[in-house]
Amino acid sequence: MKHDYLDKYSSLDSVLHKLDPRTKIVCLFSAVIVVISEPRGETTAFLFYYLILAALLLASRIPVSFLLKRCLIASPFILMAALMLPVSFLLGGESASGNLNIGVFVFSLSILLKAYAAIFLLVLLTSTDKFHRLLKGMRRMHLPNILTMMSALMYRYIFIINDERLKTNRARDSRSPGRFRSGCIKVYGNQTAKIFLRSWKRAQTVYQSMLSRGFKGDFPEFFRLQFKLPDMVFAVIMLVCFVVVRVFI
Amino acid sequence: MPDSFAVEVKDLSFAYGKDPALKKVSLRIRSGERFGIIGPSGAGKSTLLLHLNGILSGDGEVKIDGLPVTKKSLPEIRRKVGLVFQNPDDQLFNPTVEEDVAFGPLNLGLSREEAGTRVRETLKQMNLEGFENKASHHLSYGEQKRVALATVLAMQPELVAFDEPFSNLDPAMVKHLIEIIESLDATVILVSQQILPVMACCHRLAILKEGQVIGVGTPTELAADRGRLKECGLDVGFFCSICKKLNL
Repeated sequence: MKHDYLDKYSSLDSVLHKLDPRTKIVCLFSAVIVVISEPRGETTAFLFYYLILAALLLASRIPVSFLLKRCLIASPFILMAALMLPVSFLLGGESASGNLNIGVFVFSLSILLKAYAAIFLLVLLTSTDKFHRLLKGMRRMHLPNILTMMSALMYRYIFIINDERLKTNRARDSRSPGRFRSGCIKVYGNQTAKIFLRSWKRAQTVYQSMLSRGFKGDFPEFFRLQFKLPDMVFAVIMLVCFVVVRVFI
Repeated sequence: MPDSFAVEVKDLSFAYGKDPALKKVSLRIRSGERFGIIGPSGAGKSTLLLHLNGILSGDGEVKIDGLPVTKKSLPEIRRKVGLVFQNPDDQLFNPTVEEDVAFGPLNLGLSREEAGTRVRETLKQMNLEGFENKASHHLSYGEQKRVALATVLAMQPELVAFDEPFSNLDPAMVKHLIEIIESLDATVILVSQQILPVMACCHRLAILKEGQVIGVGTPTELAADRGRLKECGLDVGFFCSICKKLNL
């Protein structure tokens, strides 16, 4: 089965795609920190942040619709966090004492803006490079090897587990005409257990296959990452822009 | 054919817990030979294969090219013996085809440049040029099978052991795989339940049943012994009668 959900636009040819993954990791994570460090209730600066983000999106050539869809996935959590304060005011009866004023809503708005800006930056990071290159970048930045290795294997096998899920779904549906009624949860439980058992068995075979090719506990690196002049230029421009907005606006 | 033996197995026994999988198996496979191991499901074929690479270790003796398979000799054994697993998904765990093929050579201690040369050569040999940066989960099953074989061939093993190589392949792909196997400059061991393709490309065959070798011979000799094949559920007469019926 073919899957292109996670790295759908990672093969585009844009300025951002050509950068070293380490540049993108450092710049975009730094930008996230700058954005979330804005004081409570600050909203004006976000106009400038979102202008920078729009410029980045334009440079990356990633469709806006794709970005919005990704943001939509995180929306329930973001909205829950943003609405927590006004709702707690209402439920706590503090509105009666006149505390539920415009400031509370501005505070919620700033949470929304911060969260969406952070999601925007992370989507940009994961969509402008192949996942394995990002992991390679993290490894070169001395993140724990076990973490990157586990992430690499998880990324690889998430598709296989998904295939197993689809196969068991088909097997279940082919023998269950109409809707599930009683015992529905038990069926899902058995199916989940089956998927886990198959994954465990597969993990054993994968390990045997790794051993048969001389695996000694560490993944050898095949290609080198190169930090070039455009990386330096991009990093400087991007960080200066974010810091200027943070400090002066 | 030279008389040196690529594989010598003597009185090999192995059990999964209390269930015996191999019972005093003895085999000799000559260097450069294409040797098939056939038998019904659960006969112990794959278990035997895993012993050749030192992944499993049972009671008895296994020698590869005269070298006993022991803990000490494992690096050398794994350089000599390449295993191609039944399901290519089990063999392809790196993000790209290129890195998967380079995994073995790099583990052998080759430099990036040498490994890169091996990757290019092997992908060319497998007609997989242009696949370097593809992710294995984006490939078709047949392509995955070829990449899985490339990952092993890049290590330039002296012995290539295939576990069920013909399963889930269409006839054209089976034919193509047989051509690839016949072109390999190595000793080849094929483990399969699909008796016809194995008979088509092997010099000799062994029949394994319930963990025991019950016969070794050339394809012609074994095909003539219909009774024994029937006994093991491997009789191909059924397929021959279909071919006759269809005037093939």
